[in-house]
Amino acid sequence: MVYRMSDNIQKKSVLSVLLGFPSAVWTSVFRNDLPHTDLGRSRTSFTNFFLHIHPVKVHKHTLRPWFTMGLGLISLFLFLTLTVTGVLLMFYYVPSTTQAYDRMLDLRGSVAFGVFLRNMHRWSAHGMVAVVFLHMCRVFFTGSYKKPREFNWVIGVLLFLLTLFLSFTGYLLPWDQLAFWAITVGTAIAGYAPVFGNEIRFLLLGDTTVGQEALLRFYVLHVAVLPLITTLLIAVHFWRIRKDGGMSRPAEADIVVSTEPTSKTVSAGAPVMAFAGADGINVIEKKRYGIQGLVRGPFTKVGNVPDNSVFSYPNLLLAELFVFILTILGVLLVSFFFNAPLEDPVNILHPPNPAKAPWYFLGLQEMVSYSAFWGGVGIPGLEVLILLALPYFDRGQKGIGVWFSRERLLANTLFMTFVFVNILLIIIGTFFRGQNWEFVSPF
Amino acid sequence: MSEHNDVHHTTESSEPISRRKVLAWLTSMGILGSAIVTVFSNLVFIKPRATYGQPMRFSIGTPDEYPPGTRIALGNQKVAVIREGNKMAAISITCTHLGCIVGVADTGFACPCHGSRFDQDGNVTGGPAPKPLPWFELSMAPNGELEIDKSKEITAGKWFTV
Repeated sequence: MVYRMSDNIQKKSVLSVLLGFPSAVWTSVFRNDLPHTDLGRSRTSFTNFFLHIHPVKVHKHTLRPWFTMGLGLISLFLFLTLTVTGVLLMFYYVPSTTQAYDRMLDLRGSVAFGVFLRNMHRWSAHGMVAVVFLHMCRVFFTGSYKKPREFNWVIGVLLFLLTLFLSFTGYLLPWDQLAFWAITVGTAIAGYAPVFGNEIRFLLLGDTTVGQEALLRFYVLHVAVLPLITTLLIAVHFWRIRKDGGMSRPAEADIVVSTEPTSKTVSAGAPVMAFAGADGINVIEKKRYGIQGLVRGPFTKVGNVPDNSVFSYPNLLLAELFVFILTILGVLLVSFFFNAPLEDPVNILHPPNPAKAPWYFLGLQEMVSYSAFWGGVGIPGLEVLILLALPYFDRGQKGIGVWFSRERLLANTLFMTFVFVNILLIIIGTFFRGQNWEFVSPF
Repeated sequence: MSEHNDVHHTTESSEPISRRKVLAWLTSMGILGSAIVTVFSNLVFIKPRATYGQPMRFSIGTPDEYPPGTRIALGNQKVAVIREGNKMAAISITCTHLGCIVGVADTGFACPCHGSRFDQDGNVTGGPAPKPLPWFELSMAPNGELEIDKSKEITAGKWFTV
């Protein structure tokens, strides 16, 4: 209808040109109507800037809710929530030691939805640390970091570290007791780093002690430097998912037994990939098409290999929408019922007793209470190095795309131990440490 | 004729290192060098040349303000001033573990952050602290006021007699 109108513009009156103006604008922005055909569905994905990050078609296995549990998506949505609420909070915040705490109180008293926004920001931050970690566990236990996805695992580990740095720089900003002493301890840990420890600490603080310079520096890191790096790495992370062949999935998800003779279905000159099945009889062939095959997906299978993929529009989009609504709902509910803590204003002479970091750093704090170097730098540094290098050592190609594969029993057990030790340390730090960091029973 | 041959010969022998390769190498090195200089100068920029914190050397008033038996913490300066009889000392109250401010009691010092404990002279008696609390130089200025110099650490137990 729209096209017919524009075809006839020259013959029609000024009135019809004016009447056609809105639809002309609309079609220039949204090139496609809501799709009803396969062609339309693929066009929707690759002509829309916000949708082109999706493949036109997505494997059915990817859409299984219990395979990924949407953990990566939840992380992204929490990051977006944090960006929006963070920008809003910036309208009222001043990174000054004399004003910051009062501004926190202003959020309570004189800013509409001030407390609620702060709650959303704080709980999303806590949630993001937890979900990014769980996402990492998912990727490990499904063996999804293996070739060709090794480098995306590395980026993922870096994103986890950035998440921790973002939350760490964030909690100095209220300039309350928790903020002050957490940063005092945190930057002192940085001071134990080998060779450049004291230089790093001085650069972070901009002074020899935690004060105005440190607050300003952490603010800049928190609202500009770290979010930019994180956004960049998230973009690379998503791009790599597609370039590495989509989500990992078990080989069985693609291989289908062929019963017909294969030669009939292969046209001359087409590249053919044949795999011998386990029993040496079943042969599967794939034919790769050029650009004309895109409408039916990037790899059009010929013959009796069924298409295991579905269109991203609407299947993947609906799944994402569902995860998004669930995430936002969770954040809203938690923010409605629980207020983000705000401790007393900074008192340089009296650390709270015990001075505890947020829960996700209590494992670190527990380790640090035995040895500052090993607990704060040595062991965490080794853990990060092992995580980064892991996909380059664990190169077996078995058990990919399956939760807790039996063939990966050793790797999974080791990683589960790593997860449990860290959770145990957090539990000890949270519930079993009292005044002067002495062992107490919570019961 | 012979001249022409010479030229041809020279070109052939220098083929492994072509002009293009040399230029590419120089360009790469130039870009790499610029990148290193950029990173380094940025680091220099964010390293402050002056800080606005507490001065390292400061006056704490006359000895009369600290009667014998005093163990008092000066918060802003982060030192404890101690007087026993006519002996005085200035001991740091910044925990040597991770920089928390230790509490000052008659029996010694205790850190609330990770449970380090120190005796009355600042020696470690428990917890993760790797070093004893340092003692700072205490001196009498000509105007009769005591001065602490936090840039000068002295050996523990070296009291200043007033």
